Amino acid sequence: MQQNIETTEKPELVIETRNLNIFYNDFRAVSNVNMSVKRHRITAIIGPSGCGKTTLLRSFNRMNELVPGSHAEGEVIFEGQNLYDPMVDPVEVRYRIGMVFQKANPFPKSIYENIAWGARIHGYRGRMDGLVESCLRQAALWDEVKDKLNQSGLALSGGQQQRLCIARALAVQPEVILMDEPASALDPIATLKIEELMQELKKNYTIVIVTHNMQQAARVSDYTAMMMLSDAQRAGTVIEYNETNIIFTRPQDKRTEDYVTGRFG
Amino acid sequence: MKLSTPGSTQESELKAGLSDYNLDILSRKRAGLIWRLIFQASTIVGIIALMILILNIINSAYGYSALKAKVDPDTLAVEGVPLEEQNHGQLVAVLQSHISGPAFKKLDNEKPFSERSEADVRALVIARVVRLQVEKTWNLWDSLTKSGEINTEVARDYPDAELRFTSWLNSDFINRPQTSEPVTAGIRTAIYGSLWTILFTVLVAFPIGVGAAIYLEEYATDTWINRLIQTNINNLAGVPSIVYGILGLAIFVRALEPLTSGQIFGIVDPTTANGRTVLSAGLTLGILVLPLIIINAQEAIRAVPVSLRRASYGIGATKWQTTWSHVLPNSIPGILTGTILAISRAIGETAPLVVVGASTAISFDPASPFSKFTTLPIQIYQWTSRPQDEFRALAAAAILVLLMLLLTLNAAAILLRNRYSGRF
Amino acid sequence: MMRIYNKKGIQEQRETMARKTFENELQKVKDAVLVLGSMVEQSILDSVAALKKRDLKASERIFEQDKQINQKRFDIENQLMILIATQQPMAHDLRLLASTMEIISELERMGDYAKGIANINLRMGDQPLLKPLIDIPRMAQKGVDMLHRALTAFTKEDVELAKSIPVEDDEVDALYNQVYRELMTFVIQDPKTMERANWLLWVAHNLERVADRVTNICERTVFIATGVMAEIKSTDDEFWERQKKG
Repeated sequence: MQQNIETTEKPELVIETRNLNIFYNDFRAVSNVNMSVKRHRITAIIGPSGCGKTTLLRSFNRMNELVPGSHAEGEVIFEGQNLYDPMVDPVEVRYRIGMVFQKANPFPKSIYENIAWGARIHGYRGRMDGLVESCLRQAALWDEVKDKLNQSGLALSGGQQQRLCIARALAVQPEVILMDEPASALDPIATLKIEELMQELKKNYTIVIVTHNMQQAARVSDYTAMMMLSDAQRAGTVIEYNETNIIFTRPQDKRTEDYVTGRFG
Repeated sequence: MKLSTPGSTQESELKAGLSDYNLDILSRKRAGLIWRLIFQASTIVGIIALMILILNIINSAYGYSALKAKVDPDTLAVEGVPLEEQNHGQLVAVLQSHISGPAFKKLDNEKPFSERSEADVRALVIARVVRLQVEKTWNLWDSLTKSGEINTEVARDYPDAELRFTSWLNSDFINRPQTSEPVTAGIRTAIYGSLWTILFTVLVAFPIGVGAAIYLEEYATDTWINRLIQTNINNLAGVPSIVYGILGLAIFVRALEPLTSGQIFGIVDPTTANGRTVLSAGLTLGILVLPLIIINAQEAIRAVPVSLRRASYGIGATKWQTTWSHVLPNSIPGILTGTILAISRAIGETAPLVVVGASTAISFDPASPFSKFTTLPIQIYQWTSRPQDEFRALAAAAILVLLMLLLTLNAAAILLRNRYSGRF
Repeated sequence: MMRIYNKKGIQEQRETMARKTFENELQKVKDAVLVLGSMVEQSILDSVAALKKRDLKASERIFEQDKQINQKRFDIENQLMILIATQQPMAHDLRLLASTMEIISELERMGDYAKGIANINLRMGDQPLLKPLIDIPRMAQKGVDMLHRALTAFTKEDVELAKSIPVEDDEVDALYNQVYRELMTFVIQDPKTMERANWLLWVAHNLERVADRVTNICERTVFIATGVMAEIKSTDDEFWERQKKG
């Protein structure tokens, strides 16, 4: 893990949750999470299915509010401000904290439009061509599509579509990129490309990834949060959070050990 | 040929033996074959029924007819100019001299002769003066198979009549206005009436319907009021159309008379200053097809996958931006389908328009939204209720025109839909 | 046995199929290590017994045994590589496999020590021993005993047992010093015994190294169980540390 040399004064923690609880109507899905996400690092959230990983991830950019009846208690501090403060507009949160989904979902428009649309609705006034090229380059897709920017985004392969979604998220200049199992629908080669891409992206952005593929979490992340259903309440919580190396060689919690060694149901 | 079954070696007790299964593949296939035949038979029955209908109509629309003129057209030649070559003024003079004064005045009131085209006036002359009468008509089948018999019959019973093969559906038919004489009748009036009415129907129902669908799908929350509204809309789609006619009569024709008769705008139909206008008809039909459009548009909007909306929200778009830029463009094929259905339904509606007051005997084209009108189905209905054979032939011809109009509109809408679904 | 956490998060033991194959393979590896260990124990005892009885034939057989020890070591190593490549071991499993690599290396070196002792026996050939061997066999017995218990601790991952063994290295060191002093006395009295004294000292040295390597095995065992790699101090180390602090 290379040391990041900061030249500007920036706090080390980009996102910090304090006693975060997430509800769907009366059902508590995530309980009492206190964890942090460090700048220019990749943080992975792992755990068995149904333990609330995706719910927790979505709460970082208030996407869980799209589900009717979903609300959160507690705080999510981003750049010193609580995202769940009533004065904060979720729309603004969502372009500073972008999201990439499990199944690639590019807009049914051209490749160019996919990226340009997001920038345009946020009032981008610079050279659009330049922005599109820059985003595609950052997503390691430029060389493959530079001659066919007007083709539909849906005509690309699965891995390319996912990279297009990443480029689309980059177009609005986020600080954090949330990825919800980004490679689970891809073949191994496309998966590796995405993982390499993440290593490049973390130089300029902060990444949080949810994955059920432990080897991927081990390969790719710097920090790992282990989630599991807590005892009595059937709600998910973070039971261990540490550097990835430690989680996968000598975890502190027995349940984490059982999960990473595959002896968990 | 049966595949050889594997010999059982060391298999665990959990695996069932092949003997536990009744592998009667043949009887399973037979059952499938029987059902397939049943479905094919149903399709064939449907096709046959359709073909019988169409052939019957075509049968009525073409055939021999014995025509006799009450007044020989040659006697109407003015200064040696035959009827076909007379100009507007001459034709008007001929007309004036041969029909009664009040009748002439009535025609003038309906539409001043100065505004009628030469062809119109000539048609009037032929209808009212020459009075070409149809003695008897035969349908296509008889005309083709029994032409000899027909000839002898005409020679015997109608010596003065001329036997002609008439295709009741011809370009004159489409271009001529309606007249009381079957020979000269045309459906131009009805076509224009239908088109104008449909135009207003779509103008009213499309925006309101799509707007309501957007609201119900995207913005309405799941409260009991909204569920009530939704149920009511679904039910309204099944209400008999005559009810809409009564509704239209009460509201558009009577209550909103100043609006629909054009009084407010100062454009008033000189013959009737009341609300039985194209606008009323369009509005009535608009309300009729509104539930259809709403339901279809809702289905189309619902069919847009959640993942697309999430993608849009994920980069910080507002609800309206998402709806306008992504949900709507992707649901246009479905919405257009709903509109096609609506138009198809509206074109064929007769009962509500009768109630709203479609005229059955007008002979001029509608000039504005505030004029009297008639539509194709109403014209057909009127003609089929006349006893004479020739009107049946006219009705058949009109039905063919209606079908072609429907097909054209459908094709246009489908083309439009395909164009849109091929784009991003 | 798979440990399952039910909805209440409480551990339940259930017979299921999770990683049964992997567990079997791990058990096989541990058994193989025990086999290797007993081969090594046998070699050490045989080599010292052969030296005591001046049985040159027996010493030649030790060479054969060493070949088998090396082969066994490579077999286990191969098996470990396969498990690491195919089973994605993490945490405890990873520590187990990596440490086992180390442990079989230590065992193989101990086998080499036994071979060295057999070699010396052959070199001495017809020459008589300087004196009947007493301390050297004691060293061998002690070392083998420590090794046996260390491998038991390894198989059971018994941290307490593993931590208690290294201290016995002091006894072996004490015996070594004794042998050293006795041999020195011989050499001073009769310089012609230098060669034989040297050889015998080398034998004692090998046995002393055996005990050291057992300590390494114990440290690895503690690492497997706890994840902490730490030297278990012997009194020697503590003596030198006190010296440094002065």
